[in-house]
Amino acid sequence: MNPAVDQLSVRVAACEGLTPFGDAAATSEALLAGRVALQRRAVLGRDGGDAVPLALLGPMDETLPPRWLAALRGLAAKIPPGKWGSPRQPVIVSSSNYGVGSLHAFTRDHDPRHVQHGTPFACVELLRRELGWGEDVQIFSHACVTAHLGLAHAARLLHAGVADRVLVFSFDFVSPFVAGGFHSLKILNGAMPAPYAAREIGAIGLGDGAAFAVLTRAADGGDGGVLAAHALHNEMHHFTGNQPDGAGFATCATAISEAARGRRVWVKGHGTGTLEAGRLEAEAFARAFPGAPLVSWKGSLGHTLGSCGLVELAVALAALRAPAKRIPGTVGSAAPTFVDTVALAPFDARAFDGVVLTSNAFGGAHAAMLLTHD
Amino acid sequence: MIERFVHHLCVERPAAGETAAEARERLREKFPRAALRRMTHLGLLVGAALDDAAFAAADAMVYATTFAETRALEDYLGSFPTPSPLLFQTSIHPSAVQQGLIARQRPLPRLWPITGRARLVEHALLTALLEPAERCVLIGGEERGTWMLDHGMASEGAFAFAVLFTSQRAEASGRVNFSPAKATGETGARDGEPCPSLADLAAALAEKRPLRWRGAAGDWSLAWA
Repeated sequence: MNPAVDQLSVRVAACEGLTPFGDAAATSEALLAGRVALQRRAVLGRDGGDAVPLALLGPMDETLPPRWLAALRGLAAKIPPGKWGSPRQPVIVSSSNYGVGSLHAFTRDHDPRHVQHGTPFACVELLRRELGWGEDVQIFSHACVTAHLGLAHAARLLHAGVADRVLVFSFDFVSPFVAGGFHSLKILNGAMPAPYAAREIGAIGLGDGAAFAVLTRAADGGDGGVLAAHALHNEMHHFTGNQPDGAGFATCATAISEAARGRRVWVKGHGTGTLEAGRLEAEAFARAFPGAPLVSWKGSLGHTLGSCGLVELAVALAALRAPAKRIPGTVGSAAPTFVDTVALAPFDARAFDGVVLTSNAFGGAHAAMLLTHD
Repeated sequence: MIERFVHHLCVERPAAGETAAEARERLREKFPRAALRRMTHLGLLVGAALDDAAFAAADAMVYATTFAETRALEDYLGSFPTPSPLLFQTSIHPSAVQQGLIARQRPLPRLWPITGRARLVEHALLTALLEPAERCVLIGGEERGTWMLDHGMASEGAFAFAVLFTSQRAEASGRVNFSPAKATGETGARDGEPCPSLADLAAALAEKRPLRWRGAAGDWSLAWA
């Protein structure tokens, strides 16, 4: 067994998501219809700036209370009852933003109420009190692979016998803080993202997103999908670039392919719309999974940052649970693509019994998980 | 019971008023020159603590910090309305670890960056104990803030530590032990003791002082040979 892979099967007993299209089922339906949530909006919100593609649940500017709180209350209402945050039913919160947007609001408006939820621990403390969780709330923060870490760690807690159920809760809401940052890096620009399209200019969009999953031991039974494996890798080659030979992508893709051996899988890729990373990712997964359809949904939903792994897991599960069992294609992209396995149009999930879901982050961080759905 | 043994330990406790520039000068031999000028105080301290850890390619790493890249965050916020791309990427968790590892071009399979406050040490230790890699490095650290400190959003002091845990008892200098509570009878109420802070843990490591407390679903101890 590859030491970089955790093969600790856990059942997804419940999973739900929230995007500008609505819940996970509504999001899946919108993607199947080819709808794009991204709209060009001022990068710094009320302070203006270039128009860039953002998929938002409301105006981007920070509010008091923070704009994400009401949305998260609504999402949390769908979490199955439990003693969440108790020792045997811990909560793992994963995000890359937490309440950091409020720090920008504070430096702009000088209202000290903004800083009350500016750090990750203060943001999660607010959430914990609002949602009635106990004190056993663990916080991961690894940029855009964070949700994968939360899910992988939850599997470890369950298999070690130190938890009976684990709630993984993830959210990222766009703010001028983060939009301004990606705009300064020039990858959030005026162009709409076209994941895996071989074109001259790369571009990403950013999106609001939140999701949760309740994980139990696979042996506990139930009708949810099974998260069967996680692979992680950190290149540590460059802050914002990847090893030019694609070795980082290949390491993660190869590791998760070993866990998926014998299965007929499709691949939900990271696919933000950047050119170099998109090409390296597409090529690596085409080699590791010959013929497997590759899709990205960030051309519609935008990049939901540290939450993308869980938001897109929720969308995938919703698509698989729908009667039609149709998987949305790579909305917003077009031929020619980097590899011919990129699925631009929806396809039938019944030909497959697994999906590999991948995410990447700054520092050359790679994460992939295998969801089996037989 | 879950147990791991301490096989390497390094604690960076700079003088109280040390600045990033002074740390850069003090630690300059530990980093490539090209990387040094862009490293933050926290990145320097974490990188220095990791310097002697004798990493292996299959090692895993857990990184714990409550406030992370405070100064880069402060400076990035100050760069608006023309945000700085360098400060943006430097402000993102877990930049402090990445600064040193990218400078040394040291890939690693699994990195678990954890944040939090009241139970951070417990969560970081539990993550390290559940890591199946033969060797797992636990890193922690903070840097001193300026205006964010005035609002309780930054550390009052700078420090960093690196502890290498393995499952090998022989020649270990210490051990960390977690005994989970029984699955039955839990109420969700915590009747345990306060978890040590990250700074408490750093001090205990530096002084090789034992720690013992009850929390996070069980009993914890750090003991020395």
